[in-house]
Amino acid sequence: MLTVDQVSKSFGIVRALERVSISIRPHEIVGLIGENGAGKSTLMRILSGSMRPDSGTISIDGKPVVLRNTRHANENGIAMVFQEQSLLLNMPVADNIHLAQERPFMRLGLLRRQRMLDAARQHLAKVGLDIDPAIKAGELDFAARQMVELAKALALEERTDAPLTILLDEPTSVLESRDIAILFDRMRALTARASFLFVSHRLDEVLEISDRVYVMKDGAVVAERPARGSTVSELHAMMVGRELHAEYYREGRQVPPQPEPVLEARGLGVRGAFRDVDFTLRRGEVLGIAGVIGSGREELTRTLFGFLPQTDGTLRVDGREVVLRTPMQAVAAGIGYIPRERRVEGLVMDLSVAANVTLASLGIAMRHGIIDHARERAIARDWIQRLRIRTPSAAQICRNLSGGNQQKIVLARWMTARSHIMILDHPTRGLDVGAKEEVYDLVRALSADGVAIVLTSDTLEETIGLCHTILVMRDGAITGRFDAPAGAKPSQLQLLEHMV
Amino acid sequence: MPAAERPLATAEIVQRVRPFAPVLLLLAIVLGISIAEPGFARFNILSVILSDASLLFVLATGMTFVIMLGGIDLSVQAAASFSSMVVAELLPHLGYLAFPLTVLVGLVVGFGSGFVHVKLRISSFVATLATGGIMTGLSLLMEDGRSVSILDAGRAQSTWVTGAWLFNIPNIIVIAGLVAIGGMLLQRYTRFGRYSTAIGAGEPAARAAGISVDRYKMIAFALSGACAALGGVLLAARLASGSPDLANQLLLPTIAAVVVGGTAITGGIGSVGRTVVGALIVSMVRIGMTFVGVNIFAQQIVFGAALVLAVAITIDRGKIAIIK
Amino acid sequence: MASTRPTAGAAVAPITAPGALPAPRGKGRPARRWVNLADAAPLLVLIALCLGLGLASPAFFTFRNAVWGVANQAAIPLILAMGATFIIVMGSIDLSIEGVLSVGAMIVALLCANDSNAHDFGWWGPLLALLACTGLGLVNGLVHVGLRIPSFMATLGLWFVGLGIGTVALGGSAVRVLDPHIRMLAFQRIANFPMAVWVALAAFLFALLLERRTRFGRYVYAIGGGEDIALLSGVPVARTRILAFALAGFFTGLAAVLATAQLGEANTTIADGRLFMTVTAVVVGGTALTGGTGGVVNSLIGILIVVVLANGMVLLGISPYVHETVQGLMIIAAVALSIRRGAGLVIK
Repeated sequence: MLTVDQVSKSFGIVRALERVSISIRPHEIVGLIGENGAGKSTLMRILSGSMRPDSGTISIDGKPVVLRNTRHANENGIAMVFQEQSLLLNMPVADNIHLAQERPFMRLGLLRRQRMLDAARQHLAKVGLDIDPAIKAGELDFAARQMVELAKALALEERTDAPLTILLDEPTSVLESRDIAILFDRMRALTARASFLFVSHRLDEVLEISDRVYVMKDGAVVAERPARGSTVSELHAMMVGRELHAEYYREGRQVPPQPEPVLEARGLGVRGAFRDVDFTLRRGEVLGIAGVIGSGREELTRTLFGFLPQTDGTLRVDGREVVLRTPMQAVAAGIGYIPRERRVEGLVMDLSVAANVTLASLGIAMRHGIIDHARERAIARDWIQRLRIRTPSAAQICRNLSGGNQQKIVLARWMTARSHIMILDHPTRGLDVGAKEEVYDLVRALSADGVAIVLTSDTLEETIGLCHTILVMRDGAITGRFDAPAGAKPSQLQLLEHMV
Repeated sequence: MPAAERPLATAEIVQRVRPFAPVLLLLAIVLGISIAEPGFARFNILSVILSDASLLFVLATGMTFVIMLGGIDLSVQAAASFSSMVVAELLPHLGYLAFPLTVLVGLVVGFGSGFVHVKLRISSFVATLATGGIMTGLSLLMEDGRSVSILDAGRAQSTWVTGAWLFNIPNIIVIAGLVAIGGMLLQRYTRFGRYSTAIGAGEPAARAAGISVDRYKMIAFALSGACAALGGVLLAARLASGSPDLANQLLLPTIAAVVVGGTAITGGIGSVGRTVVGALIVSMVRIGMTFVGVNIFAQQIVFGAALVLAVAITIDRGKIAIIK
Repeated sequence: MASTRPTAGAAVAPITAPGALPAPRGKGRPARRWVNLADAAPLLVLIALCLGLGLASPAFFTFRNAVWGVANQAAIPLILAMGATFIIVMGSIDLSIEGVLSVGAMIVALLCANDSNAHDFGWWGPLLALLACTGLGLVNGLVHVGLRIPSFMATLGLWFVGLGIGTVALGGSAVRVLDPHIRMLAFQRIANFPMAVWVALAAFLFALLLERRTRFGRYVYAIGGGEDIALLSGVPVARTRILAFALAGFFTGLAAVLATAQLGEANTTIADGRLFMTVTAVVVGGTALTGGTGGVVNSLIGILIVVVLANGMVLLGISPYVHETVQGLMIIAAVALSIRRGAGLVIK
């Protein structure tokens, strides 16, 4: 029996887990649900040993343990099956199952391959997979690889006496329904040997397979329900967050967009990620895209900036059809991008504020074909003043500035480049409350200026508060479309129903 | 992300001093050798050192651009040797035109290396190892392994390299000086300079700002090729001949000049100015060691070790997630 | 779906009879060998090359040519390629082999009976050379892992250090080996093939054993295929890296001993051009520079391709200088053809 007792975890000022307590009894399948940012993945990472909690205890059969690393968690019977699969595709299935655990198969310093293959075959049989363990993992399809990972997790029982707990992180998002049925069938049969923690955004599936379900919200466990007798809408209601503060998102400054379309998508799709996306983005409009990881929204934003060219459908910018194959083309089309990984894709950390501000439109700082440093600094200083960026000077390198100021510099860059369409990818991630409010002010100002914005955000609240229109995506398709005019915003529940 | 700890006082001091380390090192070396051999710091000795540094510096300027982008060019010595042969062959037929033409050839070959690296997605050291091999092969083929002498007419035309027109300062130093200034201007005032620094310091961010990373990488390799070719031309002029192994033993000092000067192989940090200091250091050490009687091959031992040390100090490990 | 769970404590048996399950769709079935054209390409190229050369020059298919033109020429490069293969499969590179080889050759020549000093230590020379070269490889590994410097830089440094040491110790000139036993090491014939070929064969089999049947071999592939996954699974990455470089040093030392025996002397150019040839052969044989794929068999085929090509050019009277140019083109062609990556990978 695995018990988590009052576990908390913070990342800087962000409180990811708030005194979480759950238990997983032998032979049980426990479901875990919650929207983005609810704390599910943090909890999983702590349970699997890749992260330590700030406080609280984890106990196995009543004895507290401190899980030092993944291998130690394995020794305690806990194994995780990842969403992004963690098999070595260049190596045979048997090698993957026995990786770093080959000692039982050694004789005189040499591996006995036949023994390894036979043992692997037995492990594969546990999950009902009848394949040759000598073939490379890369030659299998997703479903089979998922099963191999499960077999690898189950192989733990040979190496430890501790009760086996298997953590499954969104195992079904990449499977077809027939494979999901097989997976669930296996899981039920395997409860004789192990208990499971099943994390998913597909509430219907969670209810189908689990014995009990925990609901998380804002880092805490808010409910525990038996699966039998609970309904999806009950779970939805428990997942929804706190009430919107209209003032926080400057709702009063939200003005209706202008009618002129600047970005149109028809049947837009990227094979394997999303499909049939239609929308029309107008001047000054803020379009939000809501969805959990795996819904396709992350890939959609990447497609709109040329990182991931579409495989189907059309995209029109200002009426002209385009296929954006590189970010360079997107910039040329007048699109700007504020990335979620600010320190990697946003700013060149070791360059100055001034250099970063002009990076997308260097021509503006050039005269007679060479860079005019004085002019560049003047442009930067102008933004520093207008956006109240806190930095000693325009020549300061960006590495040491705070997150909020860094974000403003990124925005300044696209404003310098006069982008009339901006993609904001999680723009307030990692910012404190004050910095977030400044970003909201800027969004309103840009929108009033006629800049069209596509916004993906970490929280439903923020999406609802800031946007004129919201698209909800799930499993690669748009499942809902909402108008969100000032004063008549949809509720989080309405959105959530289409997300999970 | 856990909150960053306050750096210790010593770590802070190291951080401040680090950018100036090469210059301090240079001064220390000059002082050291002057004390050991008082005849050292005279004009003619300095002139010899600067002449040696000049050639190295021309090669290292091109290499600086490549290293700042995070790549490396292992073909410089092959390119320089190849160019020495090309210019020696062309001089009798084309006269003065042979010089710019050879540099142009170097530019084109360098661009080829860059193309192979970028478009075929081959890592730069393999791409340049390959193109270097091709050039060595071509050099050997040209005269069946033999060298080509530059005859009187050609020598007369080479005085722009071998002469000393300006106050008796050897022309080669002036040429290197011009290349230095050109490189610094390029870096500070052109799109190429700004973009290649950005790409080296943060390639994903540069790409996400709409910069054509491929194009600027190819330009950097083209420049490196051109500088290597210029180096070959200078060598050929000085030695009055071109041969397939003329520039042997120059690869290591070239890389050392860039890295010891403070340009990080992880890219971004660094400049042509730093390479000037680096080239001076390397030359000082080379000449100094010869002065003191250390044989040229033993110098290699010193340089090899110094190279590794310099890299270990200047590298930014945060940039490379997995060190392969 | 009705619950089909066994009760707790029931005998833990296979879930269903094997074969009674729907197999996963797609490629879950046992794969046939050689199904991949790209994998078989190097071998096909070799066969095509041999056939072509046989047609162009009747001297190619003689036994004499096979022994002296191909096998003997391939022996030393093959040994070098064995060491390089492990490094490249791991995703790293070893640029130092020329320097390490110089040191090894120098030690052999100076310790056995030679024309430069009065030493006559016989087999101690090769033994110490092997030890020293393995030690240098170890240094490579330690510098790379300990100082956390990319392998190409760490080995670049050792390349020059090794060349310097080798050349300085030789006094800048050649040292002739006078010990007949050591010379015989290269030329003594067994079943018509010179010893060098047998040594190379033994090295190949040893490398094959390491690759297929030891944990070290598996770990090298794991690191090349996904170092972060390997690390998480508990693979001893640092230790494996260091060992791989030490192993490369060992093979280089072996090659040094044979090269000195073959040449009859150690000189300053004994190692020239060997790095280039080794990298070419490994790449042409199909081992990707990004790591995780290929192996010593691929390198064997690659070496044979390069050697057969050189042999063919000699037989056809083509200038040997063309060879180096062609090798450069071969690397580019081989790597370009093996591209299977998507965008987003940052190639330095």
